[in-house]
Amino acid sequence: MSATRSAPDRVGDLVVSGIGVVTPWSDTPADAAVATGRPSEPGDWFDHRERLGRRGYKYLPTATQYFLAAARSALADAGETRPDSDLADEQRRGAMVGTNSAAVALHESMDRTVMAEGADALSPATAPYFSINLFGSRLATEHLFRAFNLTLTSPRVAGLEALETGTRSLAAGRASWLLAGSTEEALPAGHPGAAASERGAVALVMEPAARVLERGAAGYGRCRARSFFLPPEVAAAPRGADRARERIDSALTALGLRPGDAHQVIAVLDDSPVSAAVAAAVGPRAKRVPAGSGALEPLLQIAGALSDLSGPVVVVTAAREGNLAVALLTPADAV
Amino acid sequence: MDDVLITGMGVISHLGKGVDAFWKGLSAARSTPTTAADPFARMSLPLMYEVPAEDVPAGPERHGDLVLGRGSRLAVEAARQAVADAALEGVAPDRIAVVIGTGMGDSGLHEDWRSGTGPEGGHWSPTFSVASAVGSLFGAEGANSSVSNACAASGFGLSMAADLIRTGEADVVIAGGAEAYSRVALACFNRLGAIDPVRCRPFDLHRQGTLFGEGAGMVILESASHARARSAPQVYAKLSGTGWSCDAFHTTAPEPTGAQISRAMREALAEAGAGGDRVGCVIPHGTGTQLNDTVESQVLNEVLDGGRDAQAPVYSLKALLGHTGGAAAALAVVAAAQILHRKTVPPNIAPDEQDPACTIRLPLDEAPLEGEFVLVNAYAFGGNNVSLVLEEASA
Repeated sequence: MSATRSAPDRVGDLVVSGIGVVTPWSDTPADAAVATGRPSEPGDWFDHRERLGRRGYKYLPTATQYFLAAARSALADAGETRPDSDLADEQRRGAMVGTNSAAVALHESMDRTVMAEGADALSPATAPYFSINLFGSRLATEHLFRAFNLTLTSPRVAGLEALETGTRSLAAGRASWLLAGSTEEALPAGHPGAAASERGAVALVMEPAARVLERGAAGYGRCRARSFFLPPEVAAAPRGADRARERIDSALTALGLRPGDAHQVIAVLDDSPVSAAVAAAVGPRAKRVPAGSGALEPLLQIAGALSDLSGPVVVVTAAREGNLAVALLTPADAV
Repeated sequence: MDDVLITGMGVISHLGKGVDAFWKGLSAARSTPTTAADPFARMSLPLMYEVPAEDVPAGPERHGDLVLGRGSRLAVEAARQAVADAALEGVAPDRIAVVIGTGMGDSGLHEDWRSGTGPEGGHWSPTFSVASAVGSLFGAEGANSSVSNACAASGFGLSMAADLIRTGEADVVIAGGAEAYSRVALACFNRLGAIDPVRCRPFDLHRQGTLFGEGAGMVILESASHARARSAPQVYAKLSGTGWSCDAFHTTAPEPTGAQISRAMREALAEAGAGGDRVGCVIPHGTGTQLNDTVESQVLNEVLDGGRDAQAPVYSLKALLGHTGGAAAALAVVAAAQILHRKTVPPNIAPDEQDPACTIRLPLDEAPLEGEFVLVNAYAFGGNNVSLVLEEASA
């Protein structure tokens, strides 16, 4: 019996080589990250026949469609050609998606059908999608990701966790190539948090810098993430901001930011005590972006920053529940 | 690289609350599904292996702003047991992580809101805040992850937890899975014709699907050096190998050759340094669905390189607990660690008639464990596969 994992790649060697963004207001990463001027009622904005193809997509939940479209854009953007029917290669390709609210509207609709008419009235085509991991699984089938295809669901930080866990999995030798991102669908009207609903998807291709260089490309930059937890009662205590600062600084040091390095900060925060502690910790110079009811906004900010990266950028986000994550973006030519 | 040890355990399931009740239930090898206690469950087969009403934790119902549903309460109860068992007092909060697998999270809370039997919060209430609840209640400030790959969720979660220890990002991880009754999930399985009307009957010729179960299993994963330094009260087992793969084949059906589940098993066994002849027990995914049980049986024979008589005994846990979804792998790991710690394989529930296509050994009597490894498999919709190998270990 022999081990099937190859030698681990160094995480530091990974660069983002492709970006795909799908939102109701723009599919251009820089424009999609602009927090103002977004339509409040996005309406019927995504045509799956036009974006994905005329057959085979009609019964997929919308968040699945968004993520497939974003992934296609990211793969095309990466400009990588991969061998056909190469099992060894397929087994080195991993995917991670972070989502919080992709299934909520579907669950609500299914549940109301069950209560009113019974389970027999459910659509057999959509019934499997009670399971939230299927929102990202069509991607694996279509693009033959056989290393892994994981779905992370931690409040608000799930997208950053997809980047973090994905790169850690590459470092552990589970794969050597990663597509990671986030997808969300709006909450049902009247649902708590519906006013801050998110719709759309972001996908990033991450691969060893050497391989990107071989293709004559440079990539957008490096993206390293770290998540942790700040219990809400700790955040609300008098030293809450100090504790948040200690943890954020420690995480950034672990990610490679040196003391004194100039960097921009983008903070995706809500109105909770945890976010208040983080806001105080990062200070008034941070660019504040309102968080939505999901895990998409932090990824939109990362995609936007990567698309025009001239120096280090830190993206930090936090959830009322205590989940907190930071990402450090550095230009591809930086150490 | 530091070894990853199991130094504490907690469990709640159809068999009751606590590791002793769990092992007693495994030894007794008897269980019966009941009708879900939900007047709004309009479906032909509302059957479940529920946690007994007297064992369901009444609280906490909320912690600060966070409202805890039944999934979170089950997780907190199992975590409470595990933390106490491992005697974690004094460990620095930022060195303790939480990773929990759950397929439905606190969906039941939202379902209660819809049927008008529960409270409704004023702000966004994420469905998957089970790990957050555990992190808050135990003051764990390390990584805090919720992974939701359906019926393999906690298998991936335990692997992720082991990775956190191996990379030095955590010394201790409260890791496991939790799954509670969900009307939507049970209704969808009814609609898919995937519910067995009798009981959960893995590897039985007459099986007709699966039956869900509720429960939570939590282990304390700890680096060997950390456990040694603080003189951890006990070591139940070592998590010595993990393997992941994805079929990339079909939304719900397993890939019929089993190529990718074979790869996950082989990878986990290789990482553990376990030859097939040293595996003393297998806790399979074994759900009772037609193709899964047949394919997994065939692959087990190939990977463990033995025929029905020579192969390691298979312990069919889901026949007793039902299919506990995202918690299934964690509950299997608790069972595996107990099997290694007690050096005993519990008896299987007797199938009415074992499927001749499932050429595996399902002993009906309790037997001594022969071999120092236990293999655990977990598979999910979307073709997500994970195998874990536990190894005997002591303090």
